[in-house]
Amino acid sequence: MTHIIMAGEQMEADVLVIGGGPAGLMAAIHAAESGAKVTLIDKANTVRSGSGATGNDHFRAYIPAFHGPDMEPVVKEVAKSQAGWTRPQSFVRTWMKTSFDIVKMWDDWGIPMKHEGRWEFSGHTFPGKPFTTLKYSGQSQKPILTKEAKKRGVKIVNRVTAFDLITDHGISGAIGVHGREDKIITFSAKAVVLCTGGCVRLYPGPTPGWMFNRADSPHTTGDGRAMAYRAGADLLNMEIPMRWAGPKYFAKCGKATWVGVLRDPRDKPVGPFVTKPDRIYGDPISDSYKGLFEDYMKTGKGPVYMDCRGISNEDYDYMMHYMKHEGLHGILHHFDEEGIDLRENPIEFMTYEMTTRGGIHYNEKGETSMPGLYAAGDEYFGGISAAATFGWIAGGKAAGFAFGRDAPSKNAGKESSEALKNLVREMRNRKDGPSWQEINVALNQVMSDYIGPTRSDTLVEAGTAHLLRIKEKARKDLVAKNQHELIHCLEVLNLLDVAEVIFAAIKERKETREKYIRVDHPYKNPAFDEKVLVCRKGPEGPLTEWKAIND
Amino acid sequence: MPPIIDEDKCTLCGNCVDICTEDVFFGSKKKQLPRVTYPHECVYCNACVEECPAEGAVRLRLPLPMMLMYKPAPTA
Amino acid sequence: MEIEHIKADVLCVGGGIGGLMAAIRASELGAKAVVAEKGNALHSGKGGGGCDHYLSYIPEIHGPDMDAFIEEMLQTQQRHNFEGLGMNRIRVHIAKTFDIVKMWESWGIPMKYRGEYHYAGHAFPGGFRCLMKYEGRNQKPILTKKALEKGVEIVNRVMVFDLVSDGNKVYGAIGLNTRDEKIVVFEAKSVILGTGGISRLYPSPTPGWFNNIATRLSLTGDGRAMAYRAGAELQNMEMRIQHAGPKYYARFGQATWIGVFRDPQDRPIGPFVTKPERLYGDITPEVNKNIFLEYAQAGKGPVYMDGRGMSQEDLDYMMYWLPHEGNTPLIEHMKADGIDYLKHPVEFMTYDQGSGGRIVTNEEGETSINGLYAVGDELANGVSNASVFGWISGENATLYAKGANIPDGKEIQDLIDEKKGLLEKIRGQKNGPDWKEVNVALQQIMSDYSGALRTEALLDTGLFHLKRLKQKALESIIAGNQHELGRSIEVLNMIDIGELVFICSKERKETRGLHIRRDYPLTNPRLNNKVHIIKEVDHRPVTEWRPTQK
Repeated sequence: MTHIIMAGEQMEADVLVIGGGPAGLMAAIHAAESGAKVTLIDKANTVRSGSGATGNDHFRAYIPAFHGPDMEPVVKEVAKSQAGWTRPQSFVRTWMKTSFDIVKMWDDWGIPMKHEGRWEFSGHTFPGKPFTTLKYSGQSQKPILTKEAKKRGVKIVNRVTAFDLITDHGISGAIGVHGREDKIITFSAKAVVLCTGGCVRLYPGPTPGWMFNRADSPHTTGDGRAMAYRAGADLLNMEIPMRWAGPKYFAKCGKATWVGVLRDPRDKPVGPFVTKPDRIYGDPISDSYKGLFEDYMKTGKGPVYMDCRGISNEDYDYMMHYMKHEGLHGILHHFDEEGIDLRENPIEFMTYEMTTRGGIHYNEKGETSMPGLYAAGDEYFGGISAAATFGWIAGGKAAGFAFGRDAPSKNAGKESSEALKNLVREMRNRKDGPSWQEINVALNQVMSDYIGPTRSDTLVEAGTAHLLRIKEKARKDLVAKNQHELIHCLEVLNLLDVAEVIFAAIKERKETREKYIRVDHPYKNPAFDEKVLVCRKGPEGPLTEWKAIND
Repeated sequence: MPPIIDEDKCTLCGNCVDICTEDVFFGSKKKQLPRVTYPHECVYCNACVEECPAEGAVRLRLPLPMMLMYKPAPTA
Repeated sequence: MEIEHIKADVLCVGGGIGGLMAAIRASELGAKAVVAEKGNALHSGKGGGGCDHYLSYIPEIHGPDMDAFIEEMLQTQQRHNFEGLGMNRIRVHIAKTFDIVKMWESWGIPMKYRGEYHYAGHAFPGGFRCLMKYEGRNQKPILTKKALEKGVEIVNRVMVFDLVSDGNKVYGAIGLNTRDEKIVVFEAKSVILGTGGISRLYPSPTPGWFNNIATRLSLTGDGRAMAYRAGAELQNMEMRIQHAGPKYYARFGQATWIGVFRDPQDRPIGPFVTKPERLYGDITPEVNKNIFLEYAQAGKGPVYMDGRGMSQEDLDYMMYWLPHEGNTPLIEHMKADGIDYLKHPVEFMTYDQGSGGRIVTNEEGETSINGLYAVGDELANGVSNASVFGWISGENATLYAKGANIPDGKEIQDLIDEKKGLLEKIRGQKNGPDWKEVNVALQQIMSDYSGALRTEALLDTGLFHLKRLKQKALESIIAGNQHELGRSIEVLNMIDIGELVFICSKERKETRGLHIRRDYPLTNPRLNNKVHIIKEVDHRPVTEWRPTQK
């Protein structure tokens, strides 16, 4: 085997955007419009990368012409749906206030934001409550946003994964690894916007051991959270779990696109909201009760079916149209092949695995706790509208920040780049040792067995020790046969860092609150009301701190 | 395991190789038939199918553990 | 695929302890005995890595009252193992054990510890110790050598997957070579099934990993599946079994560990021992194997096997036996990771072993099909059971073979053509699922619809999904070579067994042991002392309740 040497390369920009999903592209577009020299790097290809890759069909928005002049009811409703107690209302208010501008912008660019010429709101709504999700046809959103970014002079560098931020004199860029060539690239920049998406692959997915059967893009592995953490930035709410639901075994988000009634095996509706397929409301029971499917199975009352029988032709066409735009192509194709007809065949649903709701602590300006470092999108969970809106905001702010500072010194990043080079060279040149899959599976089983739905001090303590052992082994022994596997190795290292933070946060939150359950502390602790739990890197692992929610 | 390339229909344009988020086609060479190097990493997002200029040149085979669990319609 | 023919008086399917003992006995009695083994008999099967405990009764040690011994034995984990087998059969087994012990000793398997028969582990303090410690590390090479010495023909790398039978009588079997493109047809007067347990029907402790299992990857219930297809009766297929051992590192040998099971606050979880005790071990999980899972689910776990406070002498004793139990790699791992058992308690967990069903046999080892016998884990776990009934079945199969002949009818040819067609079809299929994919799909259906919790709705739904999976697997499973072909056939066998588990679970409308019917929470006293029989009649499964054998 030949010895692998990593080539080095240098690039410069005013604003470096990491991750080319809707948030990253919107950040890059706004920063470039503001006059900054922008480089955007993406692990894959921005045309189809991230959780919005092949589409999306609903966009949280406040549209005065639809909702009327009072925005507050919409703000309240959105805050509630986003586990409002974990984020300040001011954040949601900024989001909603800006959302319509983004909607109009997207519509201008050619993403159809209207349904048959009008603003159409449906799904994810309880009867009697304000509608918050705009139906739109997002199948081509990523190619369109990519085009818009390029138009404005954004330099897009595909197939490069950022692994570490440069922090020599404040945030000064990032070091990335190429996913196809033996190359490490140092990006020097005056401001950085993190938009790497969510945190998939922490917990085992629906199919035992299969890494890529996931509701969201399995390529999003908490890279931003991990690098922000390593750089010293604050993360928050990492202990708060979040779960999705959707078709059994075939994990795909997009539950609200289904127009049907959730029913038990005896055809009894499991929720009180609908008794026949209704395109306006969907069946919102699973919005307020995502664990529904799992609980029904555990108690022997399941399975629960998404039952579209009795749907009108018009609603059926509507559903099929939006499934395509929600990116559910795989499922549609499977219907055809199997002869599954939703008008006749109810489909079993399930509750998918956990992930963390929390992430990088960024405010309504997109600022993190470190000057010059911005974050948007699923760096803290929010969905596509939050991604687009705060991406836009963060991009503008980052450009402003960049104008006020000098370019980092030529030597910035040298040390971190050498350190990363050594790490990856070792992984590429090692012969025997665990592959990334092995470490990822080991992580998955520890996550689900020690901080899964059952959480307690003793489990957290035992699990933390196991995790640290896995982490040490990973750093020491991981083997990557090529750059593709190397990227997966780095992803796993990121996941391990994120996991360590989650363990630390769970250890600290000794209470039960909504979906966060500690079997040894089964009550809500009023001392934690109006507070959030922040984690940052300390000399010997994560430090935690309770902060007032509006700080 | 998915995706499956139809040699007869493929135009060797390389779009699927460029586009795949998971880089399932890692190691494919320009102007050659795409190589499905990491089939287990396919997420059935359909991007390769969307961006393929030749109808039917690439298709996704859904693995059995992901087949949809549906309820049969009552037989007449 | 070319076809090879092998003739035998007694064909032993599976070269584990049961199969080898049967072949040795048959050969001794003058029969032409052939062993067909999927792997290599030297180290194949559950006993392939060794074993360190042998269930046996020695009157000089245990006293003259064998029934008292049996009564005590049935309070340990053996109660699940022998459930539904009938007291007479258990008596035949136990009475024979000492003979086999002496035989093995004379063949070179050390059955004594420091010059004496020595019993330890799996026991209640003060009670009978039923398990003899022995040095089983080399048991398989020794038994293999003995078989060859006696003139047994051992055919390695041949996986037998179907019997030739008219539903009443067996005439042989069909196998595939797992390395060369060959089909092997065995024309035999009698057949002894000894293919072992079922290891891959339910998910392993590590998600999606097949090889992290306490037994062997290639133990896939082939015997039960082919017996059923040939018309033989199976029993209690719905009953689940569990085992326990080190967390994530699935291995048998729980009783080889000396220590106390403790919770995170160091409190013993059972009432039996408070300090490491080498003669009894800590028998708590044998009363309830699910205990580790229950602790974990209630947030009270993990539970540790805790050796702290044990003497160096006891540690040496434990480390002496672990390799004989086949746990050398585990010791190597502990060394490499600096795990010092005197300081570091080790987490334990409950493993899911899947179906506990078995092939119905009588005290002679014969099944409901004439000339077809079953031994070893086809009936009940353990080296002792395998060796005793291997011996007994080998003897009876030979007697049967003396009066039987092999028909050379057209039916055999039809079956060969059919099976050859199936194998070639699988080898020819392209772009379909491989065995792993089908196996994962099977495991998730089994654990989600017929796992720890069962209801009519779940079982109905799961059975529908399973049948759909079966059809797809038959239509599209691929095998790039003979090795993968073997794996594919294994998975098809397990799908057949999975189907029986569903059908029998539906029929058992009660909760009993680990068969938990949420919709029928009562244990029905009318089903005490009954066994649940299933067999194929006119291509349909038929079930029946029958009193347990006397």
